Amino acid sequence: MRLPRFEYFAPKTLEASLELLGQKGDGAFVMAGGTDMMVKMSHGRLKPRTIINLKEIPELHYIKFNPQNGLEIGSTALLSEVLNHADIIEHYPALIQAVQTMANIEVRNMATLAGNLCNAAPSADSAPPLMVMDAEVSLVSSRAKRKVKLMDFFLGPGATVKNVDEIMTAITLPAPRPQTGASYMRISARCGVDIAAAGVGVAIRLESEVLAEARIVLGAVAPVPLRAVKAEAALVGRQFDPETVQYAAQMASEEASPISDVRATRDYRKSMVAVLAKRAISEAYERSHARHS
Amino acid sequence: MKEFSIVGKDVPRTDAEAKARGSALYTDDIRLPGTLHGRILRSPIAHGIIKNIDTSKALKLPGVKCVLTAEDTPKVKYGNWRLFPETQDEYPLAVDKVRFIGDEVAAVAAIDRDTAEEALDLIEVEYEELPAVFDVASSIAQGAPVIHEYCPSNISVNRKIKYGDIEKGFAESDYVREDTFKFQAISHAYLEPCSALAQVDLDGRITLWTSTQTPYIVQCLLASTLGMRENDIRIIKPYVGGGFGGKMELRTWEFCAALMAKKTGRPVKFTLDRQEEFLAGRRRHPMTIRSKVGFKKDGTLVSKDLRIQLDGGAYNAMGPTATFLCGNFGAMLYRYPNYRFLGEHIYTNKPPASAMRGFGAPQSLYASEVQMNIAAEELGIDPVDIRLKNAQVSGDKIPDVATISSCGFSESIQAVAEMSGWREKRKSLKPGQGIGIGCYSFISGGVFNWFNTQYPFSAAEVRVFSDGTAHLLTMASDIGQGSDTALKQILAEELGLRMEDIRLTTADTAMTPQGDLGTWGSRVTLMAGNAVIDAARKIKQQLFGAVSARFNLNVIHDIECKNGRVQATARHDYGMSFGDAVAMVQKANRGEPLVARGSYTPRGKGLVTPAFGFGAQIAEIEVDKETGLVKVKNMWTAHDCGTVINPRSVEGQLAGSIQMGLGYALSEQMIMDGGKTLSLDFADYKMPTAMDMPPSEVVHVDTFEPEGPMGAKETGEGLASPTAPAISEAVYHATGYRCKDLPITPEKILNATRDKAE
Ligand SMILES: Cc1cc2nc3c(=O)[nH]c(=O)nc-3n(C[C@H](O)[C@H](O)[C@H](O)COP(=O)(O)OP(=O)(O)OC[C@H]3O[C@@H](n4cnc5c(N)ncnc54)[C@H](O)[C@@H]3O)c2cc1C
Repeated sequence: MRLPRFEYFAPKTLEASLELLGQKGDGAFVMAGGTDMMVKMSHGRLKPRTIINLKEIPELHYIKFNPQNGLEIGSTALLSEVLNHADIIEHYPALIQAVQTMANIEVRNMATLAGNLCNAAPSADSAPPLMVMDAEVSLVSSRAKRKVKLMDFFLGPGATVKNVDEIMTAITLPAPRPQTGASYMRISARCGVDIAAAGVGVAIRLESEVLAEARIVLGAVAPVPLRAVKAEAALVGRQFDPETVQYAAQMASEEASPISDVRATRDYRKSMVAVLAKRAISEAYERSHARHS
Repeated sequence: MKEFSIVGKDVPRTDAEAKARGSALYTDDIRLPGTLHGRILRSPIAHGIIKNIDTSKALKLPGVKCVLTAEDTPKVKYGNWRLFPETQDEYPLAVDKVRFIGDEVAAVAAIDRDTAEEALDLIEVEYEELPAVFDVASSIAQGAPVIHEYCPSNISVNRKIKYGDIEKGFAESDYVREDTFKFQAISHAYLEPCSALAQVDLDGRITLWTSTQTPYIVQCLLASTLGMRENDIRIIKPYVGGGFGGKMELRTWEFCAALMAKKTGRPVKFTLDRQEEFLAGRRRHPMTIRSKVGFKKDGTLVSKDLRIQLDGGAYNAMGPTATFLCGNFGAMLYRYPNYRFLGEHIYTNKPPASAMRGFGAPQSLYASEVQMNIAAEELGIDPVDIRLKNAQVSGDKIPDVATISSCGFSESIQAVAEMSGWREKRKSLKPGQGIGIGCYSFISGGVFNWFNTQYPFSAAEVRVFSDGTAHLLTMASDIGQGSDTALKQILAEELGLRMEDIRLTTADTAMTPQGDLGTWGSRVTLMAGNAVIDAARKIKQQLFGAVSARFNLNVIHDIECKNGRVQATARHDYGMSFGDAVAMVQKANRGEPLVARGSYTPRGKGLVTPAFGFGAQIAEIEVDKETGLVKVKNMWTAHDCGTVINPRSVEGQLAGSIQMGLGYALSEQMIMDGGKTLSLDFADYKMPTAMDMPPSEVVHVDTFEPEGPMGAKETGEGLASPTAPAISEAVYHATGYRCKDLPITPEKILNATRDKAE
């Protein structure tokens, strides 16, 4: 398929790129790794008139962590950099689980978390774990700056609350709290390089042995990464036991509203949500137990 | 085992470094000045009459240099079965009618690819849609739409085999069962999409570089469809990134590139994209197989009645051969005293299926092997033992086929059972774990001359020089399987030279000797290898004469070519360097270069194949009972390919076969909605990746095939068959789910195990 004709810019500062984005208006897109954009363009599903590459902007390329403020990932940090970051490995294993399953080494050496989120595929692997861990994203335009909770970010397939003149500059996660744990599980037909047929992110916080808080987000089973509120409610205030987990998993499966497509049928996706939810809840619980300090 | 110096050694592949460095030139890499780029307009409907095509707007687009429809062509039908012209059912561009979504309707050549693509949108085609059929049952039902006028039944080919008395056989059987199996279409998914580049010279002769397995077939069919003489067309096969059977016919883009080059005087290149390959590309045949088998209580096979319907899609392509071979494969592995086969090749309005690695064997053997496993269980016999009881052995005669010469099948079964710890694991695996076996037999090239070639099946020319080097010319086509390396090894061995002493020119129809039928049917090592030996022996005869005369040798002396010398076997001092011997022969012939031609065409080997390969494979798997996902944990293979010419190449074939077999068994399928292919990229077409590959161990069973070059026979395609039945049996062992309609998806496993639980 033919690539559309487009103008290409690689500004060196955020300011310059915001200015360009404002100027060029409709049909202008920022690009990070290009691993979603180029595929769409070569299939004729995206026809940008202007492409603004963000990868030449040093101020967007960083990962910062400290135990008080938590984690901040600049929007052009590579998936491979996330995957190999010692603090993320230690404190945010659910994010590692997601990034690990994404694509392959070549793609991870180009792609970014911000790209994964802004692309807003219902199957985006990083969305469920980031959402359950209370991620916020920073959106900047030449006029204003704001922070949005990732839970409120997605509107539909390919649609988000981000305005066309805004650039995502960072993704932030709160500092890990004691007695919390999170997990992400997904399923697909191949073990290597595949798009998720279903994914489940879970985060919980324990107070002594009681499940004090729970967040569950389902991927690839609705137009947006879907918060499973009934499943969350089924956990909160209870102790961790097989019946509770089974019940919550069942609720999650009921909340899912997947379609049948070439990747999997609706029924299979629904039943997989229950399996994945059960496993992710259990793993999140084990992790919260392990993190006492 | 015979001792060799180069054959049987891990000689590095001749193409390895070029491919690793990226310097290997594939067709699309070749740049000629002024090249035009072609694109193909394809039918958006599955069946219809072309009422009108208006190309005027496309022609007006700046940059467009040529637009072709059938009206601009000689309208000559073609097909690989030249021996039976009525089976030749395809035009390069659709004449009056389209028969599948993706059928080629028109072509554009322009100064760049984008312009050609844009021009496609400007071609206006008016269709009258006709009712279409998408499965064999509807296609042969009363009143079904006729897809080709010449074939009102939609059954384009049928094949019958019969020997013994099956009814009597079933009557004498203690145990008879009948099963129906269904098979999905899968893609060859070769790494290099099809590509062709044509150039015309001042005399009007055409040179075509093309990604093909069969330069000679393309040359002949291109000549006939263009109304040209064969010798006015030169086909060159550059590096090819895999074919697996999908690149062994004349194809539209080859024809269009050539004709457009003629019309415009400029080189014309077509390179397909992956989407086109999935949408309209050749594929492995979907089939429906009904198989009835009868056994004695002790597991002895008595009778088999096999009926196969091949869903051929809209054209014959290589379907007729697959139809024939399915019948042969149905009775090649075990001794069936009574056998009947009916195969039917049926048209449907889908992209044509064609040859694909295994050529009917993966389907036919899946059915056989699963039934062996079922029978073993129901008769209370170990699957390994029931196979050993019925296995073909050396000297067995397959009626209407041939007598099996070398055969290491039983040894393979025993070896694989031993190395995998079969007997222990069959009993002691935990729930959710399983182990299963599948076996195969395959041909080493075909004998039946459907292409009606007028030349030897394979040929070689060897030129030797006084500097101690040799030049091997052969039309044999290396498409990644490694035949260049194997043929060089064979020549080096025969002439006592080193690999680096041999220059190689292959697969160029104007430069390499006529003929070679191409790369398919696992024929190249055996056939081209024999041709190389034939030529080399003629060279040796002359060299031996010179040495004998020079040293006044007693006539009883044996003379050999070894370590770069030509010498008396018993007295190495009676000898000289290879180059000096060549110089002597040359001197005796007034400077005439020393050249010899060799060839191979099977003789006295029946109509199917000169030699059979065999093997057995065991898979160990684990099923996640909640998700239905299958993880293949280990594969063990023992096989008989005669002399192993290059162990690493053979292991490469095995690894590739396991990768394809995993996909066939577990995840790959062309997902269709009626006539429309929905899986159009590798995100939706689930081919296993390197990360899905299980560890694997192999044993080469030592045999010597008298008909093969230095004892070698096939190893390319046979291995494509056992993986699916082995995994299938392992899944049954783990879950109780017996799959009769591949692929074994997690959903099928869950549904089956849930039904059982309820
Ligand atoms: C082979 C392959 C396998 C894949 N496997 C997976 C997988 O397993 N799981 C998965 O979730 N995804 C997968 N993907 C999709 C893709 O790689 C990811 O979504 C990736 O994270 C996208 O990041 P990117 O930087 O390449 O985005 P880009 O393609 O550069 O951008 C994607 C979109 O986000 C916008 N954008 C990017 N950065 C910003 C920013 N800072 N501010 C505002 N907008 C921005 C772009 O304008 C564009 O619309 C796969 C892709 C390929 C090619």
